[in-house]
Amino acid sequence: MFRTTDIVLIAVMIGTAAVTYRIKQSAESELEHINKIRTQIRLEHDTINLLQADWSLLTQPKRLQKLVELYQPQLNLQPTTAEQIVTLDQLPMRPVEMPKPDPQAAGQVAQNNPDKTVTGSLKK
Amino acid sequence: MIRRWLKKIRRSDETADDTIVLDGSRKSTGGRAGSRILMMGVMFFCVYGVIAGRLVYYGSHKEEDSGPPPARPTEARPDIVDRNGEILATDIKTASLYAEPRHIVDVDEAIDKLHTVLPDLNYEDTYRKLKSHAGFVWLRRQLTPKQEADILALGVPGLGFRTERKRFYPGGSMASHILGLVNIDNKGIAGMEKYIDEQGLSILQATGLATQQDLKPFRLSIDARVQHIMHDELTQSMEKYRAIAAGGVVLNAKTGEVLAMVSLPDYDPNNPYNALDKDRFNRMSNGVFEMGSTFKTFTTAMALDSGKVHLSDKFDTTHPLHYGRYTIHDYEPKHRWLTVPEIFKYSSNIGTALEAEKVSIEHNQQFLTNLGLLTRVPFELPEIATPEQPKVWKPINQITIAFGHGVATTPLQTAVAGMAILNGGLLIEPTLLPRTQAEADEHTKRVIKASTSQDMKYLFRLNVEQGSGRQAKVPGYFVGGKTGTAEKVVNGKYSHTKNFDAFMAAFPIDDPQYVVLVVLDEPKPYGGWPATAGANCAPTAGNIIRRTAPILGVEPEFGHQLGALLVSYH
Repeated sequence: MFRTTDIVLIAVMIGTAAVTYRIKQSAESELEHINKIRTQIRLEHDTINLLQADWSLLTQPKRLQKLVELYQPQLNLQPTTAEQIVTLDQLPMRPVEMPKPDPQAAGQVAQNNPDKTVTGSLKK
Repeated sequence: MIRRWLKKIRRSDETADDTIVLDGSRKSTGGRAGSRILMMGVMFFCVYGVIAGRLVYYGSHKEEDSGPPPARPTEARPDIVDRNGEILATDIKTASLYAEPRHIVDVDEAIDKLHTVLPDLNYEDTYRKLKSHAGFVWLRRQLTPKQEADILALGVPGLGFRTERKRFYPGGSMASHILGLVNIDNKGIAGMEKYIDEQGLSILQATGLATQQDLKPFRLSIDARVQHIMHDELTQSMEKYRAIAAGGVVLNAKTGEVLAMVSLPDYDPNNPYNALDKDRFNRMSNGVFEMGSTFKTFTTAMALDSGKVHLSDKFDTTHPLHYGRYTIHDYEPKHRWLTVPEIFKYSSNIGTALEAEKVSIEHNQQFLTNLGLLTRVPFELPEIATPEQPKVWKPINQITIAFGHGVATTPLQTAVAGMAILNGGLLIEPTLLPRTQAEADEHTKRVIKASTSQDMKYLFRLNVEQGSGRQAKVPGYFVGGKTGTAEKVVNGKYSHTKNFDAFMAAFPIDDPQYVVLVVLDEPKPYGGWPATAGANCAPTAGNIIRRTAPILGVEPEFGHQLGALLVSYH
């Protein structure tokens, strides 16, 4: 009754079942992994939200003003006055700086030998 | 091998059969079949009976409640941010602690451990709760994430958390009237929160499409810094001048965007227990007031725009005006003929009334309607009041309306009309949403001639240089403004002690970028000054402009007054 083909078929069946089981198992574990990451992402999103709220709470103008008043002696922060705001074209030109005459160079000019050219004002 | 073995078995069966004497084959099978069927029937009956019984049991039996109640479905809302992206309102998730007393092993230990994280936990109350046989009790709502983590770390069995979404306003009361409120289900019930719902958010939520990640932040035209400065200055002024209420608005004169709007007293939207108190409504858009002398701006503009009055014209303010049983006085009578700029500068009631008389009543009414002062202003906020005006305009009404008595408008629309007078004659619908210049042009309507606007700017500057608005001067920023001190109606009569003060300003007045309106309700005299707008609203507006102008990027201009400029080069 049981032929070799039957045995082979049974073996194939068992083999297929094993492979299917493995695939299913790994798919399930992948799914679990995905769910875990999804939860993590959601958690991160919530954290980002919370941190943003926290940041805006910490940078509230009201809070900053209070801190400025509190640390006035140390920081001495003052509101900007209109006089402190100047545009670039309102500034005068930077004064031109003349290079200082080099005394050595000047001395060299004086020590040069008299010019060979003879003019009428000089006696030969 | 298997085959051989099977053959052997078969062979032995055959030998056994040989010995049996056969009855009728029908008898041999039929006799046993009847009992088998009966047995099967009884078995099936028993099985189904058990199932049916169990069903009845589950149907009638009430499951003991355990575990938390079903979550309250709180819908996600978009963040609300200001024009620079600063968060004004956001959703945060908070954890609420519950306990299942049945699963708690040692109540005393659990409470002791909880005490380390929640020091203010009521011992007796908690003990009673945990000793009860209830399946579920709330211990503390809305914990911080740190407390949640700490409690989790305690590892007490029978404790659990349920996350809840909660609307959070980092600015507190700073912009409460603009942002409005949400109810416990995170639905907008006032202010911009309600407006957002009406713009289709409620449909998104109903179809389940609104999730926290998909909703884009909702941007407003508000600037949180300007809003704070306005709130801060008004709070100080309200205290200093002992006013019962204060309010202010800053408008972009080119686009009609509202940069700041404050109405005091206000409420904290994070804890709005007093939000519905009678005196905490939004005065700027939902309160109507007789604006007093501020209205002279519109009368003067009307008279000049009609061409019947010119800046150099003179009017006789020597004597009070008599109209039937009414007499119109000046606050500071000059007893002489005044030119139009002088009338504006000294805020002469008589002079302004005479100016108004030059224009027909119909034209007067039409002019104010065109300026949007007599109709409901189109605005995003749901809280908008309708102005009040006399049913029939009689000559006496025209006279009193000329100096701001007899017509009650919202401060917001007064600022909007003032903006139209000063920005070259264009009435722009105000908005709380960011708007470009091109978009603003679609909502713009010319109401007065550009030349009239030019004259009005001159008058506004004159009033700050020499008139009642002197205290609003800010060096570097050419402020122009008009004060208004209206007597309030108490028991049907104008009271001489209770004022409603307003100051409308624009800066820089040669080409206004921003319009500021400040109002104080029933301020008291301060520092030897009477309780007039020039003494309280004007300096408040001046402070606001001084602090906000650099933030708003308005370039200071000293013109010919420019002194030495200190420059150091390194």
